[in-house]
This record gives sequence, C-alpha cells and structure tokens, in this order.
Amino acid sequence: MLDLLRSADKRRQRALRQASHPVMQSYLSNPFPSEKVDWKSAPIISLDFETTGLNPRNHQLLSYGCIEISSGAIVFGSARQERIRSDAVIPESSAVIHGITDDAARAGRPIKEVLPELLARLSGKLLLVHYKPIELGFLDAVCRSLYGSPFLIPTIDTLELAQRVLKLRDYGVGPNQLRLFNLRDKYGLPRYSAHDSLYDAITTAELFLVLAAEISPKEELRLGQLLSR
Amino acid sequence: MEIELVEIRDFVSQHHPFDELSIDLLNELTGMLEARYLRRGDVFPPRDNKASYLYMVRSGAIELHDDRNQFMGRLGEGDLYTRQCQLTGSDYSSRHTALEDSLLYQLSCENLKALCARDQEFCHYFEANPGERMRLAATYAAANTDIDVSGMTIEIGELVKRAPIILDVGVSIRQTAQAMTEENVSSIMLARDGELAGILTDRDLRRRCVAAGVDFDRPVTDIMTSNLLTMRSDDLVLNALMTMTRSHINHIPVVDDGHVVGMLTASDLTRNSSANPAYMNTEIRRAASVDELKMILQRLPELQLLLANSGISARHIGETISSITDVLTTRLIELAQADLGPEPVPFVWVCGGSQARHEQSSHSDQDNAMIISDQASEQHMPYFAELAKRVCDGLDACGFIYCPGDAMAMNEQWRQTQSVWRGYFREWIEQPEPMALMLSCIFFDLRPVHGDFSLHKELQNMILELTEKNSVFIAHMVSNALKHRPPIGFFRTFVLIHDGEHDNTFDLKHRGIVPITDIARVLALAEGVGRVNTSERLKAIAGTRSMSPEMSENLLDALEFIASLRLRHQADQIRNGVDSDNFLPPDILSSLERKHLKDAFEVIKDAQEALGGRYKLS
Repeated sequence: MLDLLRSADKRRQRALRQASHPVMQSYLSNPFPSEKVDWKSAPIISLDFETTGLNPRNHQLLSYGCIEISSGAIVFGSARQERIRSDAVIPESSAVIHGITDDAARAGRPIKEVLPELLARLSGKLLLVHYKPIELGFLDAVCRSLYGSPFLIPTIDTLELAQRVLKLRDYGVGPNQLRLFNLRDKYGLPRYSAHDSLYDAITTAELFLVLAAEISPKEELRLGQLLSR
Repeated sequence: MEIELVEIRDFVSQHHPFDELSIDLLNELTGMLEARYLRRGDVFPPRDNKASYLYMVRSGAIELHDDRNQFMGRLGEGDLYTRQCQLTGSDYSSRHTALEDSLLYQLSCENLKALCARDQEFCHYFEANPGERMRLAATYAAANTDIDVSGMTIEIGELVKRAPIILDVGVSIRQTAQAMTEENVSSIMLARDGELAGILTDRDLRRRCVAAGVDFDRPVTDIMTSNLLTMRSDDLVLNALMTMTRSHINHIPVVDDGHVVGMLTASDLTRNSSANPAYMNTEIRRAASVDELKMILQRLPELQLLLANSGISARHIGETISSITDVLTTRLIELAQADLGPEPVPFVWVCGGSQARHEQSSHSDQDNAMIISDQASEQHMPYFAELAKRVCDGLDACGFIYCPGDAMAMNEQWRQTQSVWRGYFREWIEQPEPMALMLSCIFFDLRPVHGDFSLHKELQNMILELTEKNSVFIAHMVSNALKHRPPIGFFRTFVLIHDGEHDNTFDLKHRGIVPITDIARVLALAEGVGRVNTSERLKAIAGTRSMSPEMSENLLDALEFIASLRLRHQADQIRNGVDSDNFLPPDILSSLERKHLKDAFEVIKDAQEALGGRYKLS
C-alpha cells in the first residue's frame, strides 16, 4: 500500500517536470494529500460536469459545479458553478436532463478562461466524483488539448464506494441501484429539484459522507482506503 | 459567478427564526453553513467538531438526554439545537445521540454572532432565555389573530338606519357645526356635485378648528377629512370593527355604487353588535325564561370567536365569558326565585374552577356550590335543593354542561351550611389525603356569584388562616400540582411526553393550562393570597419567598400564550362547525409556534421543579 501512495505523488512530480504550460505547472506544484491521513483531515472537492454527451473526445463541457469537504463537513460557502461556452448543438436528450439550451450554452464563458480557475480549485485536493470516467475523462481531454499534458488527481468515486458497501452487505448490486439519484433516495438524502452540476456535486458530497460512515462507523478511515485505483 | 444555493436557503428559511432574515442575510447565512452526517447511534453533536455550533436537522432525528440520562426531547427535520450558542444554559455533558441516520446543517456560533449583530429581531431568539422569548411570543400572539370571519353574516347595512346627513362643500365651518347641532349628530358628510367629498366629526371641529384657532367662517373644506375610507352596506360588521381599530377612526361613510347610504359610527358597532358582551349581558338580564336564555347563550361560541378574532387577549376573553356565566347564573336564580319565592335564610351561590378563576371558555362545564347560613334548619333544605336543581339544569341547558365530577350545588354534598363547609375544609387541610384533595381542588378556587357574599368571605378567611401555616397540606397540594406535567416538546407530528412516549395531540388544558393554575393555586394558599384568578395570583405571589418576580412573569406569559392558542384552536373548530375541544394537533402549529410552545413548556417545567424542590413530601 505504501508503495502505491508514494507512487501517486511521484507520478505528480514526474508530470510536473514534464509539464510545459504554466497553468499545468501551477496545478501540479501542490502535493497530493497524503494517503495515510484520516479522510477528515484531507481537503476534498466534489465535482460534477454537464456535457453534451458521454465521450470526452467528441463531446463538450457545458458546466461544472463543485463544493468542498473539510474536516468532515460540506462547506456550502465553497460552492461554485460555471457555465462553459459551447458551440456544439445540444442534443435534445441531454438538454431535457440538465436544462441547458443552445442559447444558454453560448452564453457561458470560454473553456480557456474557466479551466485555469477550476484547476486552481482542484490543486492539492482530493477529487470526489460519482462515476469517475466522465469527470476524469473530460478533464484529461481538455488538459491535453489546451496544455498538452495529461491530467492527474487522486480520486474518490462514490459509485465504487457504494458498490463496496453494498457488496459488503451481500446485496446483489444491479447497475441501476448505483445511480446517484437512486443511492440518494436509498440513504434518505435531500432531493433537490434542480438537476444541475452544482446540486449533483452537493448530492455526491452528501453521499460520500454517508458511505464513509458506512465503511468505517467508528474508527479512523485513511484516505488510502477510499481512493479509487 | 456568485452562487446562490437556493434550495439550501429555502429549506433553512422555512424555520424560525431564520424566516425573519432578509433574503440578503439568508444568502449570506447559507454560505456559512456546513453539512455533517451522523449514523444512527452516533454521539451528537459530532465528537470531532472543535468549535461551538448551531445545528439544524436536515434529515433524520436526534434524541436528547440530559447528563443524568433523562430523556429531554427529540429533534426532527428543521429542528434547531442552539445550546452551544446560547448565552444562558449549557449542557456540554449531555448524552445526545442520532436516533436515525441524520444529515445536519451547522453554523458556527461565531458566524451566528455576526448575523445577530445585523438583525435585532433574529438576535432575540438566541440571546433570550425561554422566559424572555415567551414575552416576545405573547406579543406575537396578540398581533397574529386572523380575521377570517366566513360565516359571520351581520352586515353593516343592518346597523345604519338613519338617513345620511349631507351638506354641500360650499358651506362654512360654522354652518356645518350648526347643522350638526340641529341634527344632533357627531359627524356629517359633505358632497360636491352630489358626490361624497369629505366628512367632518366633532373631534375634527375640536382639534382642527377650535384648538387650532381657525376662523369659523372659513370654508369647511379647510378642516374636513377628504381622504376617505368608505365601506359598502353589505360589508361585514366585523370588518368595519377591524378597520376602525386598525385605522384609529370612529366614523366610516357607507357608500354603495356612489350612493351614500349613511354613516357607520363606532358606537353603532358596540351598541348593536353581538360582538359586544355588554349587549349579551343586557339581553340575559331581560330574559324571561330559560328557553329565552338558551337562545341568547347559543351565540356565546360565536361571541368567543369574534372576541378571539378581534385580537383581545385570552385573559380578557376568559374574564368576559366568566362574567357572562355570572350574569346567567344570577338570572337563573332570579327566575327560579320568581317561582319559589325568596330564600328563607341567607345563602350564597359560589362558583368554582375556571368560572371562579375568570378563565372560562364557551364550552366549559359548570362547577358550583351553595353555602347556606347556619340559621338554616332541616325544613329549609328542600327549598335550596329545588333552587340548585333549577339553576344547574338551566346552566346545562345554556351550554355549561353538568360537571362530570358532580361538583355542583345540585349535589347535596356541595349544598351545605357554613359549619358543614368549615368542617370539609378543616378535614381537607388538616388531614390531607391525595385523592380527596384532587377532588376538592375545585373548591380551593371559590368565588361568590349571588347572595350573601359575607358567607363566602368568612369561609375564605378560615381557609387561608389554616393553609398559610400548614406545610403538610401545602406539600400534598404540591404533589397534586405536579401530577400534570407539560410535554417535553414536539417531534414531527407528535407531542413528546416523557421517556420517549408520545401523544398525537397536545392537551392544551391538562398539559398546558392546568399545570400553571395548579402552581398558582398552591402558592396562593401557601402565601395567604385570597385571589382566585391565576394571573392575579401569580402577580400577588411574585416576589414572595414562594416565587421570584421573573418566574411569575414567565408563567404569566406562558399562560397567555397557551390560552391564546386554545382560543384560536376553538375558534377554528367553531368556525368549521365542529364541537370545540382542548386537543391541538401539532401539525397545524407553525414552526414559530412550536418553538414558543417549547419555551412555555420549559418555563412550566422550571416552575414545577422549583416547587417540587421546596416542598418535598417526606
């Protein structure tokens, strides 16, 4: 385990040496949180994207919402949301989910402005997402295209954690059960009427508090035990 | 981009005292919030929280225990835990736990303080102790009377009988005053081209003309009121009453589609409206039969409703209803005596319970007794038996139903001579027995209604002399007084009582009002105070060794608040055509009212604990 931990930050240092763009250098200059500490003492940021589709190579980002967790508490004052400008035609199937229309997407800020701010928020923190291929995939794709570097961050995935918890309990786990809203309902968490990136990030953060408590009700829970590999 | 967490903010703002914050402060507050999660069985507040916080339950439930592990209450969705941020009281040694998996919002006391500095009203809630908050609540209750009077069908038109007196606006002040004198009216209307242009009242003449030194020959337009508030003849009397009260006016022109119908004055309302208790009392005094009385008293629930709706305090409404019962009792005695003849020896009709305490409501049962002079002999007793029967039957017919405990003058046991009554009280006081005391409780609140009041006075003097020095008796009364405990609080739609038990409704009488009247009674007896009204008793014992002025005031406010909730509850029932009762379902309470009630419970509990501590039964 210790090897793995060391290698995560080693990989960051290697990436820092290889990064050529100042935004990327700055992002990578803060050490990753140590995996040996209790999760409550690590800075965590819950992130959710809205996109025009699921494929980072063909689809575009429409917005991000994020909120931080510090000392075991979701800090509402840290909540942020940004619309990202997109010239893509938004398929009706996704517009009905997140409510972002073509016009609204045009009104967002360009990704070139938004990404440096987002990376600054993520720097030195642990990323919390529900189903990491989307957020990590899109972050990696935009970092490669804008800065010529891959994206690296230690990540907790609530979908994986939920899978662990439910398997632990010997329940059969169907894929539908692991969707964010089904898990939210299962654990009696607040139902927000807005389905946007910010409220999804908040729900993900709330779900994480529940799952962390489920995995280890009493004793400390080290980051390493939560990280997605 | 500035983020407004609308859904978090809207949840918080549904709950008192956050509902008082401006939208700007609410947005700021939302930015200061943090969310925590506790699993069922976890210690609350979260053990790893270093600072002090205010907590709000977002979902789940917290169970509260004090340091002796006594059940203190439960917090459900939207409930607040403020102890850590309050200046008074501390329970860091508490043993609270999450009863269910719970999501909590927390606000650091430091941030709370910053918010408080910017909103005085909001601040009150956290700084004040329960007693001070009760005081605020009592003011609130008075201001929060609703004015929905569907079903009230008395229209203004029925009261405005006199043809309107209208002058043209071209006249002088002097001419207007002359016309008013000739017509003998206190107000007059002025029209321009046939349309109402203004009014002038006696008060206007005094204030705007004579006192201001205005020349009487100036045009009346100089001093008339032209910014007019008018009503239609089919508007309800109660609306007119509310309008006058709110706008501090005594005259309202009644105008239907531009046609002036007349002038409605404040005295029209009070003279003729059924909302006037004095009017009902006059009718009662004039009634010639029980049937007539029955008809008149049928309006009593409606009267109570009107009084409650017009923002009159619960205490005054209790006094009003009791005074009507007094007049009714007297009238029933007079009617019976018109038939039976005058009493052969002196007697006094006394009332007990809520009527005696001036705390009656329209659906109370009757408690009464008769004290007959010692001059009476066996042969006189059938007269009093018949008299008592007629009066009690009459009260029952008029809606004051027979006392379920049989504490009525029609029961021979409570229709006795002075010496028998003296014997009763001597026994109750000198050989107190819990059961007997509970039953006789009613008779420690006695008030003479009709007859020879000196018979009651003598008995009362003896009672106070015996009770004041008798600590064993007082201790027994105390243990009786402590039998009715207030609830612990509310949890979701339940009323928590003790040990986690719950009721589905809040028994306003036995868990709210009775505990306070019991405390007031026993301490009045201990201090030799002869009053029977609970408020007067509490005021009289304030500052004695039995009760601090502060506690007395707190109890007064708690009583007024609970009594006003009871009135409102009964008003709602009357309006909905349901028989009124004392059982309040908690789900109709606003979050603010729940919190005020919790404060009232706390005030009562403190007083009961103080009482129990002082008079321990060995």
